[in-house]
Amino acid sequence: MTTYEFLTSAWRWNSILLLFSALAVVGYFLAFGRQGRPVYLAAALAVFLLALISPVSALAEGYLFSAHMVQHILLVLIVPALLLLSLPRSFSLPRLLAGFTYPLVGWIAGVGAMWFWHEPTLCNAATTSRAVFAIQTISLLLMGSVFWWQVLAPRDAERLSPAAGIAYLFTACTACSILGIILTFAPVAICSVYQQPVDRLGLLNTIRGNWGLTSDKDQQIGGLLMWVPMCLIYLAAILAQLARWHSNPAPHSEKSNA
Amino acid sequence: MNGTAVVAEELALLDPAERGHHRLAWLSTVDHKRIAVLYLLTGLFFFVVGGVEALFIRLQLAVPNNHFLQPDTFNQLFTMHGTTMIFLVIMPLSFGLVNYLLPLQIGARDMAFPRLNALGFWLVPFGGILLHFSILAGGAPAVGWFSYAPLSETPYASTPGVDYWAIALLVLGIGSVGFAINTIATVLSRRAPGMTMRRLPLFTWINFVNAFMIILAIPVLNAGLAMLLIDRQLEGHFFLPFHGGSAVLWQHIFWAFGHPEVYIIVLPAFGVVSEVIPVFSRKPIFGYEFVAASTVAIAILSMSVWGHHMFTVGMGRAANSFFAIASLLIAIPTGVKVLNWTATMFGGRIRFAVPMLFCIAFLVQFLLAGITGISHAVVPLDWQTKNSYYLIAHFHFVAVGAILFALLAAVQFWFPKMSGRMLSERLGKWSFWLMVIGFNMTFIIQHFLGLLGMPRRVFTYPDLPHWAWMNMLSTVGVFFMSAASLILLWNIVISFSRGKIAGDNPWNAWTLEWATTSPPPHENFHALPPIRSRRPLWDAANPDRPDPVVGNNTSEIESPDKNKVSILSFIVSEAAFFTVLLLAYLFFYAHPQPGPGPRELNVPRTLIFSLCLFASSFTIWRSEISLSKQRRSSMLGWLALTIMLGGIFLVGQGLEYWKLFQTGVNVSTNLFATTFFTLTGFHGLHVFFGLVALLIFLWLAWQGDFASGRGPALAAAGYYWHFVDIVWVFVLLAVYILPLMR
Repeated sequence: MTTYEFLTSAWRWNSILLLFSALAVVGYFLAFGRQGRPVYLAAALAVFLLALISPVSALAEGYLFSAHMVQHILLVLIVPALLLLSLPRSFSLPRLLAGFTYPLVGWIAGVGAMWFWHEPTLCNAATTSRAVFAIQTISLLLMGSVFWWQVLAPRDAERLSPAAGIAYLFTACTACSILGIILTFAPVAICSVYQQPVDRLGLLNTIRGNWGLTSDKDQQIGGLLMWVPMCLIYLAAILAQLARWHSNPAPHSEKSNA
Repeated sequence: MNGTAVVAEELALLDPAERGHHRLAWLSTVDHKRIAVLYLLTGLFFFVVGGVEALFIRLQLAVPNNHFLQPDTFNQLFTMHGTTMIFLVIMPLSFGLVNYLLPLQIGARDMAFPRLNALGFWLVPFGGILLHFSILAGGAPAVGWFSYAPLSETPYASTPGVDYWAIALLVLGIGSVGFAINTIATVLSRRAPGMTMRRLPLFTWINFVNAFMIILAIPVLNAGLAMLLIDRQLEGHFFLPFHGGSAVLWQHIFWAFGHPEVYIIVLPAFGVVSEVIPVFSRKPIFGYEFVAASTVAIAILSMSVWGHHMFTVGMGRAANSFFAIASLLIAIPTGVKVLNWTATMFGGRIRFAVPMLFCIAFLVQFLLAGITGISHAVVPLDWQTKNSYYLIAHFHFVAVGAILFALLAAVQFWFPKMSGRMLSERLGKWSFWLMVIGFNMTFIIQHFLGLLGMPRRVFTYPDLPHWAWMNMLSTVGVFFMSAASLILLWNIVISFSRGKIAGDNPWNAWTLEWATTSPPPHENFHALPPIRSRRPLWDAANPDRPDPVVGNNTSEIESPDKNKVSILSFIVSEAAFFTVLLLAYLFFYAHPQPGPGPRELNVPRTLIFSLCLFASSFTIWRSEISLSKQRRSSMLGWLALTIMLGGIFLVGQGLEYWKLFQTGVNVSTNLFATTFFTLTGFHGLHVFFGLVALLIFLWLAWQGDFASGRGPALAAAGYYWHFVDIVWVFVLLAVYILPLMR
């Protein structure tokens, strides 16, 4: 299969995902009516579907660790952030879920989502088994939401102060960079499934030949994705915190002291 | 001449009562202003030393096939020149400026920890002496300022030069971390009423951000230096390839420090320029928020792009591409800054006094430095120009054209505040023009020399077309810069006694340091103007049209406890140190070597002793609670129990070591042993120091000196103790548990 054929044919119109997305849209409008910010919801669903039905998903399914990493980052960092942004300003969590709004819980969820699912056994299982992959996807979305809640909660009062937010994001960025560094330089395969892909699509020759991606290089790229570009997402969030701090006429931290 | 300057300044800056014992007064001072002057004079002294070294280098290279210097002498000279200029000139000069100005700019009396401040300074001459003592002990280091392994290892550098180099940098690094912790604590907990974080002058803000870079980056170098010393002194194998070590690991560690270091030395310069340009353009800085925020962006980006120093190492095309893109990104926040400085000048009433001239030169030179810098982020171009004079030209444009010029602007700008007298503008202009002409003469041509193929670090070169005149031109330029430096020193000396009296605010500037006398009294301020904006002196002088109030109109500020802030900053720096040791352990664990491995370790016993250590976290917490409830005996009991548990843990570690030694395993056996003893040894050392601290607390409490008000101090010790325990969780997982999972 050539690259062109692959890019045009590898879209999988998974009916469950589409149904889920449709239900999400209906549920969103039933719950929030015109109060919400549907643009963000649309973006969230677009990224969500892109991660799971586009050729990235086909590659992540056993071919390329780096594609898996792209999927992972989109699901844990981008989609949950957009989902939280789509909520109306007046939204607050039910009391039952208040336990998830501690900063330490959020931090552990965000960093844990990276570390936990890259434990070799789990990483392999999520790649080979549909059920584990479904659990992984749901857990990534949930953990990402818990992580971002500290920074993007709809009510300003429930967010961390900008300074604390910067510390929160920077330490999370560091913790994930360390994992990225380990993945980049690990001499052994973290996710051994990607070493000898089962060539379901007849794509392996294209990948190894035309694209020049050996399994070593593939893992290296995966690690680098987590190390460098992912940090840029955190960095963007840190800059947003600074903007929030400087734009707010009565900064949160000083108000609380007055 | 510098010596005369020292004595002259000393006498003039002292109170009449102190003149009788002025030497002692300056040696024992804990006043931030005097410590700052000591930093500056030390930096100036080493500037002369490093400058003379540069002069010798250029003299040797003036003509082809020159034999004025021996090759080995030449290697020693460029190593010492680089090390001196970065660690003993630029850093002390920046730290001196920060030390003097930062407390004044935030309306504080002193730094948060004056004694730590004094320690930080005295480690600079101590480190400088250690570095230069190597000359007497068999030869200065001759392996370049980044000491690439394996060249820096015993088989290839058998004289103790590299050892002195490493120990000197460790000493200087510890001083820098202390200084940075002090800076963070000062900014967070010593601001005057009204000086909210959003109203900080940019010089203070930028150096505040810089302090975080220092506590994160310097420990990475310290860890690398510790490994290098273990290799050299204890025959470890970290960086020696023929025992399975990795020379490339040294490069990663060095540049993981080295790239942030570039920004650590350039950010204070950005701070200076951000203060000087507005004053001489008679306008507030354009886009304060952007200058402030881009500093944070630079700081964070700079920590993840060290790979661009290693494009030619063979990391692979994938890694190179990522680092290339990330490195190109740094141009954005840096470009934002240049735009802001230029826009500040735009439409302003510019006064071309010497500080402003240096800032304008800074802008031009830094722009060129940035452009060649970006060219190095392009991998193929980097491959061609790496280790050529093109690179030399690039980083001298940064180090001299940007950093040194900004520091010279700072000297001219703040000398009146420090001494009470103006520097001569006439002499200043002479040294400015000589410096700019000499600098460009020396370094512009080196770009072309590099593109023609002249490599760096060669003691001489053949008479190839154009090389001779280009090198001669470059050498002639150095004489211009030397003349400029001499005029500057002369200017400082004579202005000190004969300069025009400055008054409080000779430049009509707006930040708080100009609100007090020149030089400021010991306690800095008798009274502070109200602070509602970023330019309190503008508001005071123009009550009819003050700057808009920044934030809400409050003078209340948050000032967290300085003990807590400093111990948390210290823990951050220690975490960086242990992260490097732990990653090095894991790296070599993944490449097993013949000989003893993790299976030699006694896992069950270690788990039991670990429980003692973890339990001690609980007991010290109980002790803190007892202290807060004023229950002395219960506090003493829990503290004693903590010390006992920590002691038991150390005994357990001792047993482990003893067993290994008995079976002939020591640090030099193989890579597993080297990494195991390094990682657990440093942890054990930290437990030991924690125990010593707790014993002091116990003794003080026993003496009854703990009645009240010591809560924060014990809490600080508690944080440290918890941190040491958390480190052990990771060590335990990596060293003892991970092999079980294989």
